[in-house]
Amino acid sequence: MKRRDALRSLALITGGLVLVPSCDFSKEDILTAYQNLQITPSLQQLLKDIAGTIIPVGNIKSAADIEVQDFILVMVNDCIDADGQKSFMQGLQGFEDFSKKSGGSAFAKLDQSGKEAVVKAALAIELPENTKPEDPQKATKEFIGMAKRFTVQGFMMSEYIQTQVKPYSLIPGDYQGAVLISDLKPERING
Amino acid sequence: MANLNIDAVKERTFQAIVIGSGLSGSWAAKELTEHGVKTLVIERGRDVKHIKDYPTTSMLPYEFEHRGQLTQEIQKENPIVSRCYAFREDAAHFFVKDKEHPYVQEKPFDWIRGYQVGGKSLLWARQVQRWSDFDFEGPARDGFAVDWPIRYKDIAPWYSHVEKFAGVSGNKDGLASLPDGEFLPGFPLNVVEEYFQGKLKEHYGDERHMILARCAHITGNFDYYAQQGRAKCQSRNLCQRGCPFGGYFSANSSTIPWAEKTGNMTLRTDAVVHSIIYDEEKGKATGVMVIDAHTKEMEEYFADVIFVNAAALNTNLILLNSTSTRFPNGLGNDSGLLGKYVAFHNYRAGISAQYEGHLEYTTQGGRPTSGYFPRFRNLKKQETDFLRGYAAGFGANRGSYADQNAIGMELKENLLNPDQYGPWNVGSHMMGETIPKESNYVALDANAKDPFGMPQLKINVDYDDNDEKMIKDYLEQMTEMFEKAGFTNIKTRDDKRAPGLDIHEMGGVRMGKDPKTSLLNGNHQLHAVPNVYVTDGASMTSTSTQNPSLTYMAFAARAAHHAMKNFG
Repeated sequence: MKRRDALRSLALITGGLVLVPSCDFSKEDILTAYQNLQITPSLQQLLKDIAGTIIPVGNIKSAADIEVQDFILVMVNDCIDADGQKSFMQGLQGFEDFSKKSGGSAFAKLDQSGKEAVVKAALAIELPENTKPEDPQKATKEFIGMAKRFTVQGFMMSEYIQTQVKPYSLIPGDYQGAVLISDLKPERING
Repeated sequence: MANLNIDAVKERTFQAIVIGSGLSGSWAAKELTEHGVKTLVIERGRDVKHIKDYPTTSMLPYEFEHRGQLTQEIQKENPIVSRCYAFREDAAHFFVKDKEHPYVQEKPFDWIRGYQVGGKSLLWARQVQRWSDFDFEGPARDGFAVDWPIRYKDIAPWYSHVEKFAGVSGNKDGLASLPDGEFLPGFPLNVVEEYFQGKLKEHYGDERHMILARCAHITGNFDYYAQQGRAKCQSRNLCQRGCPFGGYFSANSSTIPWAEKTGNMTLRTDAVVHSIIYDEEKGKATGVMVIDAHTKEMEEYFADVIFVNAAALNTNLILLNSTSTRFPNGLGNDSGLLGKYVAFHNYRAGISAQYEGHLEYTTQGGRPTSGYFPRFRNLKKQETDFLRGYAAGFGANRGSYADQNAIGMELKENLLNPDQYGPWNVGSHMMGETIPKESNYVALDANAKDPFGMPQLKINVDYDDNDEKMIKDYLEQMTEMFEKAGFTNIKTRDDKRAPGLDIHEMGGVRMGKDPKTSLLNGNHQLHAVPNVYVTDGASMTSTSTQNPSLTYMAFAARAAHHAMKNFG
């Protein structure tokens, strides 16, 4: 556990770029921070692009700007069961192909609206009842579901959001049991 | 221990020994030390100092690597404790991991434990409801277990004593089934909870009530609690991390530091009690044998009076393991009933629904408690084909949420400005009385040992037909009340959880009037060894429906005063 924690800390400092030397130079190195997954730097970059598509930049930062992909990978590596990890990896590895088929181009080369269309298409996949477990459509759908869920969680529960955008208070204030919604005038945050 | 010299024995001799530093043990220690009794408190786990040893107490959500969730690895290694709702990233360090203290499940039993100074008082749900004579007279009226040797009038002043010091928030409800106590101001019920109260009144008159649950949180009398270094509850709802304000009662924030301040308490942590020493010539208990948790070496400590407050099942384990020529089957076990008549609270059933009224309202802020149904079933007389009844929690809640259907800027705007309101969500969970039976028991396993060389406890506890009937009735009655209140989308559940997950295991060393059918007398002394007191959950003759901690605290305080009078 100690070694793993140390690697994890190092991974957090360096953005996950802890590399294990590989003997096969034709292949990309695998990021060792996520020992249950086979994440290469290019897959990590693809995931970052997807997170940045789900929550793009505007007045405030995007999910990609705050490196939400690293949170997604920690969660999938640590908190998702082996079957889920398999779908995630299969879906992530097949996402460039999906992008080419669905959006006509590698994901990174699309503009924001093209990227959104691809992510929406993945989220909208409907699986027929007789879908085989190894069907790439199934993996794509499961992968993008996890990617979206953890992007939302990682973004909203990030230090950036909870300190600079919507400061989080550990003390919620005295309980009021009958507050008229019409009296609430929350200050609008322009994303 | 033949090589012990006189000085060493003197160093190891106290006026009283309290085994266990949790909720009930710390109360015994507080009362004894406050009255000048030199007391040794023995805790099997590590020390947890108030505030200093609450590592997660002020952490913000983003500071938890998995935002509160536990990893697959931890859950796989700990299938038992992982079923506990509070075993999460922010409080996992206060729970016993499955491998740390194995036990034998003859039938499934989720034994949830906290081994540290303060025990489970750091982790409890802080609900404190008094018993009444409807509860104490239950076994005698309904013909099960044995008659309690005490009644409400015996314990009422001690409830007051404990409530005042611990700090209990609640309303004076004037109900015979749930006597009022020394209350600090209650937290508010919300608009739908009050509406439901009104509907109950309309349909059931004075027969059924839903009130604010009383909880051990400070909401007033602040100067008084400042003496303990405790302050107003801030409604953080992060109690399981340990409270930096001391806003709720824990041994760590209240009774242990209070006892320490007297100068009369010696705290020996990391010491697993092996057994209580019985001196055949003197005809009494003279001390305890402990195993150092790290060196595994055996040590002895001596005292005139011994309080066993190791938490219900471990108290059974210690007494069962305390054998001598006089007591070959466990200390004080002349009746042969030690470890038997174990019971618990039936938490299997629950109900949820929605309410489409009062939609112009929401709630704000936090609240460490919710609504509570005192028992109404079979209260004044037998009404059903099962014995006893159930209490129940109740709550209504509503808050804004974000529409998360879109992606891109639309999703981002929605997330940052959550403005959706659904209907109110309402729900209840059952807290059923179970009937203690001889066939529900704990015993020492003949072969398996724990990491300290102690015999493992084997647990054989199960539901029975009475419990099944009660679950059915709870779900029927709650459905009826929800329907009468106009709640919709009603969903009932029976999660089939194993006993133990209620964390209200009780009995095995029950109180009673007759030494032939009970272990403890009305003063919590072992009938056969009067200088040994048991005042935790093990002493419970029956379980009734109330969250039991308040009763253990009152028992401990009462018994400590009895001991001082009789062994002072």
